[in-house]
Amino acid sequence: MDRKDNQSPQGETARILVEFLEVAITSIVFLKGVYPSGAFERRRYMNLVVQRACHPQLRDYIHSAVFGLLPFIQKGMVERAAVIFFNTDGIPVERFVFKLAVNQSYGSKVEDANLEFSLRSFLIKLSVSESLTKVLPRDYRWEITAYFRSLPEASANKDVEQWIPTDTRQWEQPPLLTPIKSMSSEPLCVQLYIEHPSLSEPKP
Amino acid sequence: MAVPSNIDTEDESSVKNYLQSNHYQPSALVSSNCINNQNMKGSPSSTVSEPSNQSHSTLGDPNFVENYFKNSRLHFIGTWRNRYRKRFRTLSDGFNCTSSNIKASALKTAIMHVDMDCFFVSVVIRNHLELRDKPVAVCHSDNRKGTAEISSANYPARDYGIKAGMFVRDAKALCPHLVIFPYNFEAYEEVADQFYSVLHKHGNKVQAVSCDEAFLDVTDSEGDPQLLASKIRREIFETTGCTASAGIAGNMLMARLATRTAKPDGQCYIPPERVDDYLSQLPIKALPGVGYVLEEKLKKQNVWTCGQLCMISKDSLQKDFGLKTGEMLWNYSRGVDNRLVGLIQESKSVGAEVNWGVRFKDVKDAQNFLSNLCKEVSLRLQGCGVEGRTFTLKIKKRRKDAEEPTKYMGHGDCENLSHSTTVPVATDDVEVLQRITKQLFGSFHLDVKEIRGVGLQVSRLESTENSKQGLERNSLKSWLTSASARTEELCKNNYVAKESSNQGCEGEGDETLGQLCGNSVGLSIQMDSNTSNGAACLNEVSVPPPICHLDMGVLKSLPPELFSELNEIYGGKLVDFVAKNKGKTENMNHTLRAYSHEKIEGAMKEGQAALLPSMVFQNEIPVENKAKQHIAKEVPAVSGAESFVPASGLTKTDLIPSSLSQVDTAVLQQLPEELKVDILEHLPAHRMQVFSPNVLLYPTEIPLEALGTKTAENNSGSKDFVLDNNLWFGTPPHWVEKFKVSNCLILNILAEMYYKSGSTGNLSPILQCISSVSIHQLDAFQDGWDEAMYILCELLKQYIKLKIELDIEEIYVCFRLLRRFAMKSEFFIQMYNIVYPYLQALVGENYGGNLHMSLKD
Repeated sequence: MDRKDNQSPQGETARILVEFLEVAITSIVFLKGVYPSGAFERRRYMNLVVQRACHPQLRDYIHSAVFGLLPFIQKGMVERAAVIFFNTDGIPVERFVFKLAVNQSYGSKVEDANLEFSLRSFLIKLSVSESLTKVLPRDYRWEITAYFRSLPEASANKDVEQWIPTDTRQWEQPPLLTPIKSMSSEPLCVQLYIEHPSLSEPKP
Repeated sequence: MAVPSNIDTEDESSVKNYLQSNHYQPSALVSSNCINNQNMKGSPSSTVSEPSNQSHSTLGDPNFVENYFKNSRLHFIGTWRNRYRKRFRTLSDGFNCTSSNIKASALKTAIMHVDMDCFFVSVVIRNHLELRDKPVAVCHSDNRKGTAEISSANYPARDYGIKAGMFVRDAKALCPHLVIFPYNFEAYEEVADQFYSVLHKHGNKVQAVSCDEAFLDVTDSEGDPQLLASKIRREIFETTGCTASAGIAGNMLMARLATRTAKPDGQCYIPPERVDDYLSQLPIKALPGVGYVLEEKLKKQNVWTCGQLCMISKDSLQKDFGLKTGEMLWNYSRGVDNRLVGLIQESKSVGAEVNWGVRFKDVKDAQNFLSNLCKEVSLRLQGCGVEGRTFTLKIKKRRKDAEEPTKYMGHGDCENLSHSTTVPVATDDVEVLQRITKQLFGSFHLDVKEIRGVGLQVSRLESTENSKQGLERNSLKSWLTSASARTEELCKNNYVAKESSNQGCEGEGDETLGQLCGNSVGLSIQMDSNTSNGAACLNEVSVPPPICHLDMGVLKSLPPELFSELNEIYGGKLVDFVAKNKGKTENMNHTLRAYSHEKIEGAMKEGQAALLPSMVFQNEIPVENKAKQHIAKEVPAVSGAESFVPASGLTKTDLIPSSLSQVDTAVLQQLPEELKVDILEHLPAHRMQVFSPNVLLYPTEIPLEALGTKTAENNSGSKDFVLDNNLWFGTPPHWVEKFKVSNCLILNILAEMYYKSGSTGNLSPILQCISSVSIHQLDAFQDGWDEAMYILCELLKQYIKLKIELDIEEIYVCFRLLRRFAMKSEFFIQMYNIVYPYLQALVGENYGGNLHMSLKD
């Protein structure tokens, strides 16, 4: 992190948020049992016990994905970041959606402690949310997808090029939402909810 | 089947300088390059002068509207289709039958799009070969300094940067030797007919887009479509002397885009494998359906080309632009278009708009203008063979600080206002249009001097053939005339009622207000704008009557927006007045209601079977609105008007309440079974959905009913704060104080729980506290059930609105608790069922999905 990012409250908030997303996404992957539990090690974050991926490739994927979002989160361009689990046909089975809103006009200094306290509640709630989730089919895959409010300017930043359009298909019907946690602490609002296909969605 | 509304709108450029020769003012001579048939050789001639202000606007010309449209290009385009349909009726009917076969051969469809090159210019100069390569434009006026707008320019002129919509003076600055022609509508008609004759000769699947543009499905034609295209273009040139361009591709979208590349005087074929290439760099505004607004929105998202548009997921597009537009963008950016040639889009509205030269001195001017506008619209409706039910009057009002517009007699910087109204029976009758328009106009209450543009749009169209079949119209009329005789009797009855109700009101002689209320109820026009009925009439009653003359019943049954508006007029005193009179009027209502029961029974005995439905409703409106005396007054007045407007027949049916919720169920219950069925049948189908017959028979059990009728009586006192949407404002929130002093148990409990739960301002802790109380106790009250239901639903709705964007979790927790309560309590079932659809709608709007309320917990 270069110093510049830390100057504005948005920059500071975005940095904390990105760090949090990395931990939260790892928790989701752990929760869904994508990899054997031996692939994770226990670590402490915000005074909580969390999981961290041991495998360098897995760790890199999550880390580079969320930190690639940092400049865009600062500018308030990222609307949602989702962890999508999908079957072999590319049809999503379950989506964990982080809905983000960073107040761009917020000027005063952020109380880190407040923010961390709020974000901590996500991790606690997430760790007991397994019953809300679905059992995944065999041979599923997962990916991290970000939804932007506008297309980033290609030339402006090389980070953009790391992001590619997703091939994952979409549901035809509006999904069912199960909220997990919401927090709003100026200048940041984060909501986590799970999306499942609607009952009338054609079965694959 | 009629005039597509988008090209029907008139703009400023469309008016020919029809009064050119009227006023010569030698002092202001301007030389210009005016070319017409007399001085063809291009010799400059000084002719037109600056016309006087008066003659060019609505101020000086009583036939302004008529002249305006006579000289309007857009009017020509707009009404052209009608002409086309008459001329080529047999042809297009013939291919309509075959259009269903198109699907079968969808595999290798070939669509051709043919478009004449700068139609409006080419036609005018088709006999002047020497001008072919010179810059030429068409415009209604050739005043060199003028602010008339260029309507069309040929390619040599475009090379100078001249575009449609440009002022003549700017165009002349760019290209001093630009030749300007006036319109030649006869020639346009002739060429358009020739153009379509050629097209119909070569294909039986032709879809007209406009007078100079069409699609052909050439899938079934023999030979290469490209050869066919050249043949068609050659023939068009030979017969009309004008060039046309053609695009060929696998669907209508791509064919149209191909024409874009082909122009001018060329043709272009886009094979399927080249579609992606073609689209990747195509600017988004080239896509049909992407106008200025959509383009700007997309640019804000950094989307400039179709290639970039492809990168956005369909659900994001649908979330941002709506289901239909989102889908369209997604498809079009991939070159997908499933439309079939020949499926002519039914136009949704017909109308006319004048935004140039509109200046009124006084109300009389304006009224005169409106009635002429109605004539024009009526003619257009008849021309298209349709009648409409919804009428929208659009007004351009000069902004407060706007200066006189740059464009001569233009509208300048304006606010756009619009009001609309729907009538039960579709019409194209000029007298009805005039009456409706006059009313709509009144509802704006504007200073007529500020008006810069007026438009009348008619929608919810029905084909004339259908409605004129049968005797519907006639029978309705005869039914009405007989009804008017009966109403006299009715109003005698009501006269007694009036006297008794006047005792309830302070003061007497509420002549003016009587009129006011009578109008608003009797005409029952639904205004779907901010101002509603009462306000419309207020315009006529320039000074509001003293507050003590107001009728309580009417006040209470006013729609909330209107009530607050009236309240404003009275400087906020109305709320107190209502509260003060609440007890008093309620007594009065009881007597009134009993009275009306008797009357209905009396009417039944007389065996006026045919009339009963209407009679009953006429009685019931007063019962419900407690404005009986005013209605009674209004009825004879309306029937009087009937004789002057024989064709209308609208006024009468308007007396039927707009929904069953306005019907007093108590009265309905006392009616015999057949009669009830009869009444239900006489209400239009869409009104039925709200109330099933069961509901009517057992009204007390149904929550909607409770909301619909009872609350209007009981809650007008509390409405003032409910309406403001501020139940959740403040600490403690406003509702806490209100509920504390309420005499309803459940509300008291809620207020108490607010403090018990730690005064957080969130609802879920309060509900959690309530769950510790035994829920079924909450049902143990009868008094004020409906009032409590109303206010609680409102409380919940406002809470959802407050939280939906940032805290869906809180809402989710609340509704899971509420659902748990609903399992034990009748009251909460009702409440849950009322608010649940509202909740899901807002969740859908904000999150693109539905909240998952599983049945597990």
